Amino acid sequence: MNNAYLSFESLPDKLIVNVKGQWVFDEVLALEDATASVLPEAGQAVLFQCAGLEDIDIAGAWVLYDRTEQLSELGIKSRFAGFKAAHFKFLQHIIDAAAIREYEDPTEAVERPGLLRKSVEELGHSTTTYIEDLGQIARSILDGVRSPSLIMIGETIKQVYFTGVQAIPVVMVITFLIGIVTAHQAAGQLEKFGAAVLVVDLVSISITREMGVLLAAIMVAGRSGSAFAAALGVMKLNEEVDAMRVLGLNPNQMLVIPRILGLVIALPILTIFADIAGIAGGALIAVGSMGISGLQFVERVAYSTDLSDFYVGLSKAPVFALLIAMVGTLRGMQVKSSAEELGLKTTMAVVQSIFMIIVADALFATLFTHLGI
Amino acid sequence: METIISVKNLVNRFGNQVVHDGLCLDIRRDEILGVVGGSGSGKSVLMRSILGLQKPTSGTITVLGQEIEYHKPGPSRCWGVLFQGGALLSGLTVQQNVELPIALHSDMPVETRHELASLKLLMTGLSLSVADKYPSELSGGMRKRVALARALALEPRILFLDEPTAGLDPIAATAFDELITYLHDNLDLTIMMITHDVDSLFGICDRIAVLVDGGVVVGSVDEVLDSDHPWIKSYFGVPRAQRARRAAREST
Repeated sequence: MNNAYLSFESLPDKLIVNVKGQWVFDEVLALEDATASVLPEAGQAVLFQCAGLEDIDIAGAWVLYDRTEQLSELGIKSRFAGFKAAHFKFLQHIIDAAAIREYEDPTEAVERPGLLRKSVEELGHSTTTYIEDLGQIARSILDGVRSPSLIMIGETIKQVYFTGVQAIPVVMVITFLIGIVTAHQAAGQLEKFGAAVLVVDLVSISITREMGVLLAAIMVAGRSGSAFAAALGVMKLNEEVDAMRVLGLNPNQMLVIPRILGLVIALPILTIFADIAGIAGGALIAVGSMGISGLQFVERVAYSTDLSDFYVGLSKAPVFALLIAMVGTLRGMQVKSSAEELGLKTTMAVVQSIFMIIVADALFATLFTHLGI
Repeated sequence: METIISVKNLVNRFGNQVVHDGLCLDIRRDEILGVVGGSGSGKSVLMRSILGLQKPTSGTITVLGQEIEYHKPGPSRCWGVLFQGGALLSGLTVQQNVELPIALHSDMPVETRHELASLKLLMTGLSLSVADKYPSELSGGMRKRVALARALALEPRILFLDEPTAGLDPIAATAFDELITYLHDNLDLTIMMITHDVDSLFGICDRIAVLVDGGVVVGSVDEVLDSDHPWIKSYFGVPRAQRARRAAREST
């Protein structure tokens, strides 16, 4: 029964337990096993003789104290003896803490509402704040138009640079590649009908009407939508937004409007670049591997694709830009308390803006078909 | 006196700016060492170097006889750190924040872990009703106490405190000073404390280290006050420092 931490001497009326060795954090598991073997016989009280103790900390002292509590629940008396002062103060902490806990009011658990209630409440709350935020933004757009400030214009130009100019290379590369992919896939099918030249029509129309603007918008949603949410979110956490309010500056006007305006200007520009790169990708395949000459390609593009196709694509860009920028900035402004929330809102910004872009694109497609454009 | 932490010839240079230039400092067992210095004098850099968070340009740091290596995790078991803002993990509740280090460094059963974490919270003067709250739901002073409870979770022998009373009102700051003294006396802790609070400097520190000119002037409160370095003179010469010193004298 004796071990590295305890040794026992049994007297008729008491069980003397010699506590010895290292009673520290790292040994807690072994200590718990050891104390579990302190089992006096009927009529015996327990005396913990602690003179042989080498080292003790809070964790070790707790194990010892916990055993005496368990014993007293079984109706067995126990006490301590021979403690060195340097060791006893650790036990004193535990005794104090236990006393505090007894006198403390029964802790009322923090009420966390159920999942359903919470989600319904959140939905309602986010809807009202959404509407409120939209109203505020609309109002600051009006304010901005009425009295445009230089700072706002400067900020907007900066945003055009960050969200538009800096994104040109990556947007051009992906649309170029998608142009190549589309041409390849179409060539395989159309050559069966001897209509290989229609590849040019297919690439130029799909890129200008749909793919160019859609790819540019999705790229920007990932790039800038997340950046908006994260930047505004950190500003909220740092109380920068509050500081602006106190200084009499309207954060919507300083932060939100420049981002929205900037993106509304930048995305159409990006779309033009995307269209050019996508058609260039198609041209590479048509001229390089299908034997269509460069001149033939240009002629075919001019014949098949109207300027209206180009405008159809381009007209969607400001709408997509508005969606991306509004979702991104609103989500950013909703960050209130923690880094965790910042990550959550940034994710939401990207996912929701891409979702809304695709929904809007579907609506546009239906609309344009009905209008016959 | 046994030396717990020994910093030898520490040099920290960022570009052209020399922060530490051959700094030597010993921290002794069971003392509370207050570290002061002007902005940019390298108080935080010194602490981060000791903690192994930042590799110094040159020099060696030994903690409990073990040299700090910067590509490996340091002896995190033997020290606890209270960062300035608390640095609680915002996604976890108070209880989980304190339990986390215990869970990572031991294989204790859940109930034991839970009990030990609750004990640490009680020891830092918190009520257990905060245990299920998230850090964002607490006041600044409470957050610091939770952070202190987390720093104590692994029964450390050394405690690093970065401006523990900054941002607290005088009542909370005094209570926090008392808490630090109490824990120091009762848990056999060695404490290194960066502070600008002259009350805690005179009230609870055994020795003071002043970082000046890339080096350090270290000694008991009176020794440091006798120094004729101009920065130290002006630091302790300001009225609030004088008042704090008088107050500390009267209370002893």
